[in-house]
Amino acid sequence: MQTSQVRITVNGCVIDTEPTRSILEAMIDAGETLIDGVGCMGQGVCGSCRVLVRRQGESEVLSALACETRACEGLQVAFLDHLPMHRHHVYAMDDWNGDSWRILERINATFPEAQHCRHCGGCDSACPKHLEVHKGVMLAAAGDLSAADCFDECIMCDLCTIACPELISPNHLGLYVRRLSTAIGFRPADLVLRLHQIERGEMVIDQDVASTQP
Amino acid sequence: MTGIDHRLALERLLASDHAAPNPIDDVEALLKAHHPDYREGSLVSLAVGANRGSECPTALAARLQSNARIEDADLAGAPVVDTEVLIIGGGGAGCAAALTAAEAGGRVILATKLRIGDSNTVMAEGGIQAAVGEDDSIQRHFEDTLRAGHGCADRRLVACLASSAPDSIRWLIDRGMRFDLAEGGAIGGKLLRKKPGGATRARILSFKDYTGLEMMRVLREAVELDERIRLWNRCPLVELLSDEAGHCVGAVLYDLALHSFVLVRASRVILATGGVGRLHLNDFPTSNHYGATADGLVLAYRIGAALRELDSFQYHPTGVAWPSFRLGGLISEAARSAGAHLLNGLGERFVDELAARDVVSAAILRECAEGRGIEREGMVGVFLDIPELERRQPGTLAQRLVSLGHLARQCGIDPSREPMMVRPTLHYQNGGVVIDENGTTSVPGLYCTGELSGGIHGRNRMMGNALQEIITFGRRAGLHAARSASRHPAPKVGLFHLHGWRRQLVAAGMPLDRFGPDLFPSYANFDFGHELALRGGKRTMYAPRARGVE
Repeated sequence: MQTSQVRITVNGCVIDTEPTRSILEAMIDAGETLIDGVGCMGQGVCGSCRVLVRRQGESEVLSALACETRACEGLQVAFLDHLPMHRHHVYAMDDWNGDSWRILERINATFPEAQHCRHCGGCDSACPKHLEVHKGVMLAAAGDLSAADCFDECIMCDLCTIACPELISPNHLGLYVRRLSTAIGFRPADLVLRLHQIERGEMVIDQDVASTQP
Repeated sequence: MTGIDHRLALERLLASDHAAPNPIDDVEALLKAHHPDYREGSLVSLAVGANRGSECPTALAARLQSNARIEDADLAGAPVVDTEVLIIGGGGAGCAAALTAAEAGGRVILATKLRIGDSNTVMAEGGIQAAVGEDDSIQRHFEDTLRAGHGCADRRLVACLASSAPDSIRWLIDRGMRFDLAEGGAIGGKLLRKKPGGATRARILSFKDYTGLEMMRVLREAVELDERIRLWNRCPLVELLSDEAGHCVGAVLYDLALHSFVLVRASRVILATGGVGRLHLNDFPTSNHYGATADGLVLAYRIGAALRELDSFQYHPTGVAWPSFRLGGLISEAARSAGAHLLNGLGERFVDELAARDVVSAAILRECAEGRGIEREGMVGVFLDIPELERRQPGTLAQRLVSLGHLARQCGIDPSREPMMVRPTLHYQNGGVVIDENGTTSVPGLYCTGELSGGIHGRNRMMGNALQEIITFGRRAGLHAARSASRHPAPKVGLFHLHGWRRQLVAAGMPLDRFGPDLFPSYANFDFGHELALRGGKRTMYAPRARGVE
């Protein structure tokens, strides 16, 4: 089926393509070298192909994933580089151990900027998955571990971290709360029992059974 | 390939009576005629290397028998870095190896071609097998896995997988990975378990239907925050380093940001470079990550490692056939097991949807090849009829097929009203480099782990064993490597193995101007020769980052 051509601009280069193509496909078709800013190629889970886009006739610049975004006439695209970001929120997995009543203190000490949130909504509008990032930051800053749930579908693209004027690193804050609450407080009974059985030698494998023969 | 116009096919679909398909008289003939593993001329015999005489897909054989991209002269002046353990690959296996090696006190470098986390791990949806259920046992996990692999897996490896699996889950939880619960709360609850195809018990643990994403973001963060691990993004592996005895003693990386080679002298090298999907064997689309170009497999073979089951690949029946930007993307088997039908452009069912994967794949390919497929915007496939399933079993979509719903919306389809277009997609490399329980290969100093390695899945991989494999064997390789590594680099480090390799190529009449590994898919428009010519010149034309932005 013949489709009409559209003209898009990627990193300042004009590319003619078809409206059925994603931004990444359009670049490939045009012979551009694509060895960075690319990953899962459409599933939208790796967060590699972060772009800023502006549609024709609109003034707003939006963040998006290039693999999920289709070409349309006049679309302007700029890739966002993955700079080696300075990680100022460094913690160890035993950050909460010892006194888990002081979790809120630890959250504030490890992510102090979360207290300074301006409620600008930049993180929410930057998120390509439309997660409630700001809500998650608020919950975490108040010591509410249900903050973790706000980041269930987070792909760690770091767009909210880039957008935040207070350098809160919302996605990393969310992951910190997720990881630590899981590490200290997730103990399924069936797994606990099975580990116990294996460690005591009560469950072993007989490699010589015949029933596995084809 | 052409097919029946999409609109016409939709009309016929609405008029279809969904009558049961005719049974397939001769499965062997169907497979032989249409399955890529069986297709005439799709396999060739390897002429050089440890597996000389073994059959292997033609496109992969060309890579395995390729010549090195570099000469000794290319390495002159390259910086040399020493470490005890060098890990190549930033997916789940590489990260598990790196974390474990660092915890064991080894000096570790983790180098990856794209960015850490860019891998098939992050794309895995289904889950991870571990026998934790009261009705289940590690013995059952062992037997199910062996049986599914048609009995030809390495029993020691499968026993290791099954018995280590519960501890791998504990290890993941300790690093902050969550799993869904079936009942109860975080303390004392029971894990949600799903049954993989071919299993006797429900054994798949998961986090919603993006288990791999949950795993990868935890492992990535753990590696990035671990000051003991030096992380090098955008540094693909170009060649392994050897000593005069042919042992692996390091690797040559190419730093894409600095446009320069780096020599890493390492006592232990762990390859965790994943699969081959982006080589598009037999011209198939793939569900694999952009980086899956068999780099580690090619280089392990070149330095002398033996391979196994190299003619066995998984072609998943239901990859996305339209739209193009999701081509090859995976639609889980859950849709068919819930009862969704496959129909051709005539509105006819043509295969038992729950037949073995290879049979379903071959039947879909037959419909497409014989003109009964459906064509939309130049893409050809068959219908996966979710709307009819939803009419028959209301609520299925919302309850059982959540990720399918998400995928459909990406494709601009309302899955309750419009069928998906599907065709088989290259999904997994069942075989790979021969390893032992610690991931060591037949080449001293060289380890392999993850999809790149072979022997765990036999000739068919069960759902949920890939994520388990990367954690169990990634950890074991990392631990063994760190404990056995020497603090001092090998005295003589070079490309010694290439002399013998090139002699073999010449003796076998193989071309010397076919270079490998690929590093990127052919459509990445990446020319390594051109890249080398740019070295030392000014940084320019480096898409997408540098173009027009400066």
